[in-house]
Amino acid sequence: MVKFTAEELRRIMDFKHNIRNMSVIAHVDHGKSTLTDSLVAAAGIIAQEVAGDVRMTDTRADEAERGITIKSTGISLYYEMTDEALKGYKGERQGNEYLINLIDSPGHVDFSSEVTAALRITDGALVVVDCIEGVCVQTETVLRQALGERIRPVLTVNKMDRCFLELQVDGEEAYTTFQKVIENANVIMATYEDPLLGDVQVYPEKGTVAFSAGLHGWAFTLSNFAKMYASKFGVDESKMMERLWGENFFDPATKKWTTKNTGSPTCKRGFVQFCYEPIKQIINTCMNDQKDKLWPMLTKLNVTMKSDEKELMGKALMKRVMQTWLPASTALLEMMIHHLPSPATAQKYRVENLYEGPLDDQYANAIRNCDPEGPLMLYVSKMIPASDKGRFFAFGRVFAGKVSTGVKVRIMGPNYVPGEKKDLYVKNVQRTVIWMGKKQETVEDVPCGNTVAMVGLDQFITKNATLTNEKEVDAHPIRAMKFSVSPVVRVAVQCKVASDLPKLVEGLKRLAKSDPMVVCTIEESGEHIIAGAGELHLEICLKDLQDDFMGGAEIIKSDPVVSFRETVLEKSSRTVMSKSPNKHNRLYMEARPLEEGLPEAIDDGRIGPRDDPKVRSKILSEEFGWDKDLAKKIWCFGPETTGPNMVVDMCKGVQYLNEIKDSVVAGFQWASKEGALAEENMRGICFEVCDVVLHADAIHRGGGQVIPTARRVIYASQLTAKPRLLEPVYLVEIQAPEQALGGIYSVLNQKRGHVFEEMQRPGTPLYNIKAYLPVIESFGFSGTLRAATSGQAFPQCVFDHWDMMSSDPLEAGSQAAAHVAEIRKRKGLKEQMTPLSEYEDKL
Amino acid sequence: MDLENYYEIDRVADFIRTNNFTRIALQFPDHLLKDSSKVLRALRQKLHQLHLDSDGSTPAKLYVMADTTYGSCCVDEVGAAHVKADCVIHYGHTCLSPTTTIPAFCVFGKAPVRASHCAENITKQAMKSGKPVLVLFGLEYAHAIPDIKKAVNVEASSHQDSISVSGVLFADVRSSVIYPLASKKQTDELLGFSYNQDHKEDHRIGGLSWSLPAGHKMEDYLLFWIGADNSAFTNVILTFNSSETVRYDANEGFLMADVMQQSRILKRRYYLVEKAKDANMVGILVGTLGVAGYLDMIHQMTDLVTRAEKKAYTLVMGRPNPAKLANFPECDVFIYVSCAQTALLDSKEFLAPIITPFEAMLAFNRGSQWTGAYQMEFQNLIASCPVEVGQAPEARFSFLQGGYVEDYDLRADVDEETDAVHSLVNVTEKALQLQNKDTQLSKGKNARSGAEFFVGRSFQGLEINGNDASPQPFLMGRTGKASGYKGEQT
Repeated sequence: MVKFTAEELRRIMDFKHNIRNMSVIAHVDHGKSTLTDSLVAAAGIIAQEVAGDVRMTDTRADEAERGITIKSTGISLYYEMTDEALKGYKGERQGNEYLINLIDSPGHVDFSSEVTAALRITDGALVVVDCIEGVCVQTETVLRQALGERIRPVLTVNKMDRCFLELQVDGEEAYTTFQKVIENANVIMATYEDPLLGDVQVYPEKGTVAFSAGLHGWAFTLSNFAKMYASKFGVDESKMMERLWGENFFDPATKKWTTKNTGSPTCKRGFVQFCYEPIKQIINTCMNDQKDKLWPMLTKLNVTMKSDEKELMGKALMKRVMQTWLPASTALLEMMIHHLPSPATAQKYRVENLYEGPLDDQYANAIRNCDPEGPLMLYVSKMIPASDKGRFFAFGRVFAGKVSTGVKVRIMGPNYVPGEKKDLYVKNVQRTVIWMGKKQETVEDVPCGNTVAMVGLDQFITKNATLTNEKEVDAHPIRAMKFSVSPVVRVAVQCKVASDLPKLVEGLKRLAKSDPMVVCTIEESGEHIIAGAGELHLEICLKDLQDDFMGGAEIIKSDPVVSFRETVLEKSSRTVMSKSPNKHNRLYMEARPLEEGLPEAIDDGRIGPRDDPKVRSKILSEEFGWDKDLAKKIWCFGPETTGPNMVVDMCKGVQYLNEIKDSVVAGFQWASKEGALAEENMRGICFEVCDVVLHADAIHRGGGQVIPTARRVIYASQLTAKPRLLEPVYLVEIQAPEQALGGIYSVLNQKRGHVFEEMQRPGTPLYNIKAYLPVIESFGFSGTLRAATSGQAFPQCVFDHWDMMSSDPLEAGSQAAAHVAEIRKRKGLKEQMTPLSEYEDKL
Repeated sequence: MDLENYYEIDRVADFIRTNNFTRIALQFPDHLLKDSSKVLRALRQKLHQLHLDSDGSTPAKLYVMADTTYGSCCVDEVGAAHVKADCVIHYGHTCLSPTTTIPAFCVFGKAPVRASHCAENITKQAMKSGKPVLVLFGLEYAHAIPDIKKAVNVEASSHQDSISVSGVLFADVRSSVIYPLASKKQTDELLGFSYNQDHKEDHRIGGLSWSLPAGHKMEDYLLFWIGADNSAFTNVILTFNSSETVRYDANEGFLMADVMQQSRILKRRYYLVEKAKDANMVGILVGTLGVAGYLDMIHQMTDLVTRAEKKAYTLVMGRPNPAKLANFPECDVFIYVSCAQTALLDSKEFLAPIITPFEAMLAFNRGSQWTGAYQMEFQNLIASCPVEVGQAPEARFSFLQGGYVEDYDLRADVDEETDAVHSLVNVTEKALQLQNKDTQLSKGKNARSGAEFFVGRSFQGLEINGNDASPQPFLMGRTGKASGYKGEQT
């Protein structure tokens, strides 16, 4: 542990070239937190006065209990490079002192929003991969996310200790495994290649791959060994490095390097000969307590042990020896410093991803240059609960300028539109705080390139925001984060004692703040709803809500509820007509399903209300086969004016049509939000206005007459077009050994899931299974699966798509009808659907 | 039951006679309108008879009023003023809301009820719950209350051991005569909720009044409602939502203990309040022109809405229906100022939610919280001045959007700093901005005033300054009836 005062830490923060902001990302259970711990133990910064009685990794009780990380935690590390180590470093630097802001993130997919938040404020990522399990689902997801944010990755192959102790594999076999792991990771990285970021693939021979054993606290990169042997053999260090990986073989008998295995028994691959074997030897000697052999070996390696450490036996001895010989912190930190970008470097290319406004204005330039004298640009990525009950720190990264205590800032929320006053506040930063381990220290200001926590803004920021100086009215916000998961699982909560309602309201408010992903809303029926990414996520949220945010007041939660969508299967069987209340106006409409892929295009924002109509009609006609003229006649999207349904004008030569357009649109917004089946949102329906008959007097065709009529005719056309329910479907990825496959299949079958991919992981006995599973069936899925496979299968579920339920909800007794009835009952609606005759009129 | 008895011809005639009214309006709800001519005839006959008995005064003139503008439970004072009536006889279901100018006599009607069966149920309930019972009833059953009381006494004495008669409390009908609120004192008396004489707690609701013995709270009582599941009952269960309630349906003669429903209504109202908080424009619907204090209430509501930095529009449209309200799509929420029993309008058919003044106070008063207590009669609200709760400034959290939403009063300090000239420049700049036609699809939301809303509409009215100034040729219009013009296919 490095003992520091806040002033000293603040001093290093000014050296923007000597800062590394990085996150640790990986699949669940690949050892991120363990590895982080070993780094923290060596280089973590703690405040001088509390040294000795803090434990950095001690965070939430439930994290320890479950053995998984739930919230991402940030830790600052201090590392002083030796001049020798910096010899090969080409980039800019200011002295040898380095500040590394490291964020440990959760690996479980339910909490991947935490990863997103972490990635936004970092420039580099340490990707941790289990050397046995290899690249897994979540590794791929987070890697993809990282590259999307233009985060440069370095890789560490973790859990090396398993190779030596558990599996006892020989050198060549181990090499192949590592090679595969690295190759797999590179395949993903190559897919998301980005010209600005350059080559993001990792190469052991270039020092961007480390091999680590987090549990035992040791790690190495090839440069460690290369350095050692370079002097011994008298060759160039970089040349030596290249020889330590790939098809390079060395025969000690002939002292010759070859690119092929010569077949002689002493000829071995460079990596095996010079890296793997020595480690194996040391470990074996330690484990067998052959101390007489050990000491001379250690002396050769320049490793000196303290006298009390020499008393250790077996595993403890091995750990101690390895930690002294190949300390994890040195290897990993040096790798990060060498190969991950400083904020000054990273912001040059990240500005395009980050800034929403024009890339040549002063704000973009300030971000690009990481200019501490420029205007303040700060992104708040998450809210961290403070010890002061109910208050939060706004935690984020300064991209340009400086944020200081007492400064007045403009807070631009996620809905802020430049030039308008929506979602905009001007407030004082009461204090700027940096973390010294567990302890927070107030500092005068924080310059760009660093992370910062601010006090006094929590009552204006829900989840994230962009901050800038008060006078910078022209600044555009920093782009909002895009999450890879969506909150599809919902529970209704209510308090046990009715008078606790204010507590619940306050608690939900805090919960919404504390988690980047959770959404707290209210249903039409007046129930409070918490929506999260998965069952586990919700469970944690509810626990937080009750224990931390409501002071232990009891709550009742409903069973998990899944929201459905309503769509149609075919074009309406006939043109339907509805009359206005005064019977003087008639609307004729038809419904039809939108082309495949179109709802998704609308979801992604490729097609939307704000598009240039010409561009929109081009996409629609070229990709979805629309008529060019028709594409120009879209009246609106809905619900909420952006949803995946639309109204298209198909009328020819109708008088006053433009007059009722607004009213029809209003009726459509209303109807598309609450479909005719169960008042769920509609999805993928196109409503075509076929004809209208209007009263000659304007007063008789006003909104009052047309809005309710438009709503009725939309319902009627929905009901005549074979309405269907859409249910959300998870993509499930399961990794398990062969003997567990039977159990997995039977559980999936029982839960209406189907497997669409089964692949053996090369070089392992493990299988990778991908399946689709309806969200509604997923509750308790993990538990059932664990039981059926005696704990060998662990599923990861991510929302993937909406799937149409084939049964007809209008047909009594069908599964869809049962769902509709259930939803209607929950919402307090009439059990029976309103019949078509209520909506459709006859001439 | 004969007409004379049902419509209480004698009592009405007596009332008219003693007060010497000369022009009398008879107000019938729609379903009793069929009897109006018979009642009129009987009443005229009776009055004539009385007139003969005591000569001197001029014979009274009678008018029948129907199709009231607002709820038929309220006295239609405007209608009565049209015939310059000096008194209204109100028939049928009534809310007994105080009137402003004209005295009224209410004939509740007499619905049949089996007193003994009802009493049996009351005692059963009292024994089962172990709580004291408060009997409330629809006014149409007021006539039978003495009988039921007697029957309860008999019933109670047969179970000597269990309960004493004092455990069952009956509400009284205040009076079937409504006098307009003339003097201030009278106003106080009617509005004042707690006249703590003898440490008793007085309660009034929908024409019923009762006082609880000292130290008792409403929550301790079991409410026993005799009557149908109508607006009067809803009023009772919402106002006393913390008390347990059972309903005795006199028509069918069975007992219903439906607690679910009341909590559902309350929750739904809670949602509407949350929704109202997000509103930018508020329509205040005038739902009565008779109930005392309605003008004060409307003013108070306008004040409230303006103080919350929202735009208020007052609308008079008689009884609201979806078609009428949909003519004002710019309003995000409506406040319905009316008598307690017509106040709850919650139908999915309405485009925007309709809330009561009480709910509006919850929604638009910063810092006020939904505690579960509920108030339907707005007279009680006038007295309770809104209390501004001192709070740390915090942006408002909207549960509909799941995040903080802007609040204009909090952001006021932003505007202050830009000086007047600057802001004027801004305004003119905005006014001169060309409306971008391409963004029309997304416009119309979040307008702050009616004018802004109309700017966002795609149809702006007839464009007189069209480019083409030449006269248009005549075109043959459509012919036929609106239900199906000529040439329209089926």
